[in-house]
Amino acid sequence: MQKLSRRKKLIATLALVAACGSIAVVAASKPKKAAIAQMDESKRALHALNRLTFGPRPGDVEKVTAMGVDKWIDLQLNPQKIDDSALQARLQNFRTLNMDARSLVQEFPPPQLIKAVADGRSRMPSDPAERAIYQARIDAYKQKQQKKAEAGDNNANIDDAGQNDANLTPEQRQQRSAQQEERMYAELDADALADKSPNDRFNAIVRMSPEDRRTMVQSMGQESRQKLMDGMSPEQREQLQAMANPQSVIINELVQGKLIRAIYSERQLEEVMTDFWFNHFNVYVQKNADRFLTTSYERDAIRPHVLGKFKDILMATATDPAMMVYLDNFQSIGPHSDAALGLNRNRPQRRQNRGFFGRTFGDNPRPQNNKQPDKQKQKRGLNENYARELMELQTLGVDGGYTQADVTEVAKVFTGWTVKQPQQGGNFQFDERLHEPGDKKVLGKKIKEGGMGEGKKVLDMLASSPATAHFISKKLAMRFVADDPPPSLVDSMATTFLKTDGDIKEVLRTMFHSQEFWAPEAYRAKVKTPLEFVVSAVRVTGTDVQNAQPLAQQLQKMGMPLYAMQPPTGYKMTADVWVNSAALLNRMNFGLALASGKMRGLGLDKESLLGPNTAAPPADADSAVAAVSRTLLDGDISQQTHDTIIKQLNDPQLNPRGVAMNDNPRLRDADLSVIAGLMLGSPEFQRR
Amino acid sequence: MFNSKITRRVFMKNSALAVVGTAVIPSFLTRAAYADLTEGGKKRMVVLFQRGAADGLNIVIPHGDPMYYQLRPTINIPQNAVIDLDGYFGLHPSMAAFKPLWDTKQLAIVHASGSPDETRSHFDAQDYMESGTPGVKSTDDGWLNRAMACEHSKDEKDSPFRAVALGTSLPRALSGTFPAVAVSNINDFGVGNARNPMAAGLSNSFESMYAGSVDTVLHGTGKETFDAVKMLKAADPSKYTPVNGANYPRGRFGDSLKQVAQLLKADLGVEVAFADIGGWDHHVNEGNTQGQIANITREFSQAIAAFWTDIGDLGTDTVLVTMSEFGRTAKENGTRGTDHGHANVMFVLGGPVKGGKVYGRWPGLDQRHLYEGRDLEVTTDFRTVLSEGLYNHMGNHELAKVFPGFDADPRKKFLNFVRT
Repeated sequence: MQKLSRRKKLIATLALVAACGSIAVVAASKPKKAAIAQMDESKRALHALNRLTFGPRPGDVEKVTAMGVDKWIDLQLNPQKIDDSALQARLQNFRTLNMDARSLVQEFPPPQLIKAVADGRSRMPSDPAERAIYQARIDAYKQKQQKKAEAGDNNANIDDAGQNDANLTPEQRQQRSAQQEERMYAELDADALADKSPNDRFNAIVRMSPEDRRTMVQSMGQESRQKLMDGMSPEQREQLQAMANPQSVIINELVQGKLIRAIYSERQLEEVMTDFWFNHFNVYVQKNADRFLTTSYERDAIRPHVLGKFKDILMATATDPAMMVYLDNFQSIGPHSDAALGLNRNRPQRRQNRGFFGRTFGDNPRPQNNKQPDKQKQKRGLNENYARELMELQTLGVDGGYTQADVTEVAKVFTGWTVKQPQQGGNFQFDERLHEPGDKKVLGKKIKEGGMGEGKKVLDMLASSPATAHFISKKLAMRFVADDPPPSLVDSMATTFLKTDGDIKEVLRTMFHSQEFWAPEAYRAKVKTPLEFVVSAVRVTGTDVQNAQPLAQQLQKMGMPLYAMQPPTGYKMTADVWVNSAALLNRMNFGLALASGKMRGLGLDKESLLGPNTAAPPADADSAVAAVSRTLLDGDISQQTHDTIIKQLNDPQLNPRGVAMNDNPRLRDADLSVIAGLMLGSPEFQRR
Repeated sequence: MFNSKITRRVFMKNSALAVVGTAVIPSFLTRAAYADLTEGGKKRMVVLFQRGAADGLNIVIPHGDPMYYQLRPTINIPQNAVIDLDGYFGLHPSMAAFKPLWDTKQLAIVHASGSPDETRSHFDAQDYMESGTPGVKSTDDGWLNRAMACEHSKDEKDSPFRAVALGTSLPRALSGTFPAVAVSNINDFGVGNARNPMAAGLSNSFESMYAGSVDTVLHGTGKETFDAVKMLKAADPSKYTPVNGANYPRGRFGDSLKQVAQLLKADLGVEVAFADIGGWDHHVNEGNTQGQIANITREFSQAIAAFWTDIGDLGTDTVLVTMSEFGRTAKENGTRGTDHGHANVMFVLGGPVKGGKVYGRWPGLDQRHLYEGRDLEVTTDFRTVLSEGLYNHMGNHELAKVFPGFDADPRKKFLNFVRT
């Protein structure tokens, strides 16, 4: 109740501000164009940038104004026409982004594979660098086993062991000092390594025994570990990182890749839409095989279709192993399927389960020999998870008119949509043996028995449903226009959706050219999500990102870790979720940290915050604040924010230099940090 | 006990004034400094949400119901492994931490409880349970917020911590007109690095920006935030480390409860606290005595038991209640897990609780008694349980405002598990 009234008040205020600011421009335009005319071209440019991109960079408003807002929007809708080679250069270090899941598993082995190799069920790779990774992980695995065994031996002391020197037995003490000595020698090794060329250094490390390498790495601090990798190729760095944690290389590059794209891609709308659709068809990167399936999921199932047909992205996600794993469908089996009944029906017998490479993820649902139905195996059956989320979250929406019976029937339809050896990064496959026989009935329509075709039919049905058109249109409008978008807008978008066979580009076009999109009450009406906030801050300050990991950590702190939303709902994009005390403090602190220029991996040229046209540095606090607010807020700074910053600068107790700025007007870096930090944390910068 | 309270009060007084420094002293702080916030024995309620639909049938196991074993051939908890409670129900073996609480009659259980709405959507069901209005999507605020708003006037003098949630966002249950604070970590709940001499100045600047903002949404949250920041600095709850025997399990949930305990022990005037724990959606390989369900119930019960040990005497005035959006299918599914179901189990723990008993009518697991032929039936509306806690413990007599559209007089259905 209160929220509603707050929102209404806000809209009213914004409308008033916008109206007052542009009275002269409105004059005598036609009613239909009135709303659009209320924003002058540079305001329109800013509004478009705030909605179609992750936030304007310095100079963007001018560029878009010069090109013409409509023309720029059209260009963004056709990303293939935009040169993005600078981004590609920044991404080239992230090799895993271009690898298929199978190679990812091979080069960055998950624990199951390491175990299989350690137990002799799978072969050690022949490439020396790869071999070094396996050896390092097997070494770690064995260490862990040993620790476990030791813990089992003297269970009673487990809590105290290693925590307190006083509790150590004489032998333990001796062991510890031996370890310390070992470390000292290892450090000497590290020093010797530092003098070698990067290539020799890499080869020397690869040739070390796992034990020596472990001792060496343990002896080094974060900084010397980084130094060790100086000058090495991206591949060599990845391989060294993989020796410590192979899986983290994949996820780290995935996360950094996303941030780098959001920050640097010229094809901003494509990035915004990739984020939108990934979130819509959410998968969780920490779920089992999705640790190495998510990279190709985003690259191959989501990205190519973000401005294409909805039915294509729906089909692409449904036939991607990452989705089938995430929503458990790969394990779902028709209760009357051949597999459930243990029948063979003259199909070629499957390979026997031998070691790692013959094993599917989890328990193998397939009978191993087909002489008689195995009682245990019969217990495998239907899993409703994908069927339900497909309708509730991906297509019809929760009020889209389906029932529990529909969920169960759709679950039957999708039996057999599975993954071949997911644990090895295997592909999607339709397995007839898992498929529930017989006709199905979905949303009152009969689906004739027909193997994989049933699922395709259901996906087509869902993709072309008016409920889906409405649900998707509304969600898009919530991202691009307002938390509570005008129904008239959603209706016209849904009409376009149905008319164009779900052409997302056309639905967006309808929205971008609607009166509602340009209405004054839409201007800066959206509160940024943490991702939008962090990326927009980096973009607007022109920060040079050498390492995006610190930004990823910030997002985690703000409750929006990338690729790590566990429930299938994805992240919400409305203000109610992101406006609260914990979140605001995190944003203020991030603003201050970024503007301090001291965040790891992030280079900030503070002078540039003053904008391109400052021949002479500002001579007082007022003009300094004005200059920075032009850069960061396009001049949309409130009186309150302005006055507060001035006050801080002119109070010798609050100015970091210990002197009032107006008494010593030579602008320093410290002043700029204060101005920019406060501005990034201000209420104005929380909206787009 | 008495002495430690005095010390704490004196500390509050001194440190509150020290921290505030040159800025205008907010009235709530002067009140906190000169009076004892907990005077009169303030009643408290801690609300815990198990997100993802916990499998109540494998948490409080109806081991006396033979149907249970028939329906769950691979994921049942064998009778000899169950921690028996009353001959019919028993706890999952990894919840041994709850047994002493049950034995001392502080822990009660309401089985077959939940939301009457038929939805099996996590999102909708959580939303309904938190708004407190099943089936009504247009409700703007949460039941816990309304519970605070209706009983208490919005008195500026009050502590900003009267309603607090642990986490990076404010849960639906606590959103609404009553000021509520979300805290992700009490140790960095503030502006800037505490060692930075500039931090206080920057904090004041942000405060003044948000205080003067015409952006009503951000303005309101900003005020709540800075009131809380100042008060937290003054009370410094981080110095209240867990008492001996309070062994919080590692992880977010244990951390959340540890911090709730710190806020309570620091006398910050907390009346309702909210925390949640995810990871209950076990569609595949749920496990039985070992596995996913065992791990999460262990974490869940150990954290709550540690919290209870940690708050000590404060438990006398505290009632803790747990809930989850819906239960899971009575029958295990085709992948040794369970799908979305209906009724669930709620725990109620507290000094005023008449524990050691499983409350509510058990509908049974016979096919003909199952809701829609597949799930445990709801025989106790979750709002009845919460209403009783609010009415009997918190002294909130405006239940019609907390749960609009619910029973005109829910008291008739009270199970009487809380002493008035």
